[in-house]
Amino acid sequence: MQGAEILLQPGVFPRLLQGLWVTVWIAGVSVGVSIPVGLVVGWLMTLKNPVVRALMRIYLDFIRIMPQLALLFLAYYGFARWFDWNLDATGACVLVFILWGGAELGDLVRGALQSIPKVQYESSYVLGLSPWQTFSRVILPQAVRRLLPASVNLATRIVKTTSLAVLLGVVEVIKVGQQIIDANRFQYPSGTLWIYGVIFFMYFIVCWPLSIVARQLEKRWSHD
Amino acid sequence: MTEPAQFNTDNAVNDEAVTAFETSAPSPSSDCKGFEVRHLVKQYANADKPVLNDISFKVEHGTVLVVLGPSGSGKSTLLRTIAGLEPIQGGTISINDQVIDEGRPGTEKAGRSNRSSALRTRIGMVFQSYDLFPNKTVLGNITMAPLLVQKRDKAQVEAEALKLLDRVGLADRKDAWPHELSGGQRQRVAICRALILHPEVLLLDEITAALDPEMVREVLDVVLELAKAGQTMLIVTHEMQFARAIADHVILLDGGHIVEESHDAYAFFAHPQTERARQFLHTFEFE
Repeated sequence: MQGAEILLQPGVFPRLLQGLWVTVWIAGVSVGVSIPVGLVVGWLMTLKNPVVRALMRIYLDFIRIMPQLALLFLAYYGFARWFDWNLDATGACVLVFILWGGAELGDLVRGALQSIPKVQYESSYVLGLSPWQTFSRVILPQAVRRLLPASVNLATRIVKTTSLAVLLGVVEVIKVGQQIIDANRFQYPSGTLWIYGVIFFMYFIVCWPLSIVARQLEKRWSHD
Repeated sequence: MTEPAQFNTDNAVNDEAVTAFETSAPSPSSDCKGFEVRHLVKQYANADKPVLNDISFKVEHGTVLVVLGPSGSGKSTLLRTIAGLEPIQGGTISINDQVIDEGRPGTEKAGRSNRSSALRTRIGMVFQSYDLFPNKTVLGNITMAPLLVQKRDKAQVEAEALKLLDRVGLADRKDAWPHELSGGQRQRVAICRALILHPEVLLLDEITAALDPEMVREVLDVVLELAKAGQTMLIVTHEMQFARAIADHVILLDGGHIVEESHDAYAFFAHPQTERARQFLHTFEFE
């Protein structure tokens, strides 16, 4: 238990929780905005227009090929300075994660939409449903069931990838951990493991419920 | 052909069921004109000849037309054009002398006819694949279109849906999900889903072809009851005994043309007039 006392230092836990809040905030906003972006991108990907398709393809491939870290640097040091855009580090993170989440979710949405049998569209048409009613009442509810497990998985990936924000100087949970470790290096030389252990546990607490929800939904909807 | 013992419309149906279906069958219009297709042409963009070429026939109100033909003859395409799922390039489709779809050249690539949703509800269709909407219960499947499209009263629609379900023997499954039903049950729900809109014409596109053999009968019995109740229907089927029992009028399609047409189903099956029809019917015999 050597070094565990570091956790009992006043201020350690509240500061870690503050850091965690930054992590959750970045991930939450990114995932929240990615959902509508992904729905629109996924819908655009199913269109037959060759220009729209090519643009979406380029967008998706660019985001997939670039490492997230390179995207973050590009957004923070390149993009924002270039356009003289007053974007802080947190803003740059959120922007990149939205672009990334939107592209990945868009591809999931595309796959889900394309997997809906043609007869669902045809039955709806014959019953007199308008294209919008068909999409919102028949196609989308089925597509959501199909893409939910994979998108929860994507959400956990986004939560974990927020740790890269450290490298832009965002003070999220990992950065707070490093600061605590540095400040106590002489007093608790072996506190490192404990701090990172707590951080591990915090990520776990955030991501685990998501996995459980995904698994439950998968089980409940497995039949269709 | 062997004697048609299995599907006899006179004794296979119980009369009580027939009267109940009459509430959902269309009320006969004053002139009782029925449904008509004239010089219909269906041409796809990349095909050298039309899939359907100059098809004309008339189905009197309250009668059943059975469309027969080898695969690739255009039977399903015919039903799909009538339902508006495919635009037509020539001819007209009309109900009671009102033209609901007109052939337009240049629409070979278009996905659907541009028919209004009100017109679409006048023609019902049940497909071969027995998919319901998996995100809705049985009742939800049936009541969706009347509530959303026709904006009818919810209580009245649900009451009618229950009556229809009762008629097809599925009243106790109203809250079931589609995945909990067998193929035959789903197909019976699909029939209710079409009937609740009171379509003037009901199209059945090989509705038993994808079912397990023991489920075919339960679906066909429902269709026989509908015929007795006076529902105008166009049926594509490979069940020859059923076709003979239910048809008032038969057409045989081959290569996009009507090869033989008969208003006497028994005569058609017993003594086809053309060599092509003899050949076609012969493929269903196993003596």
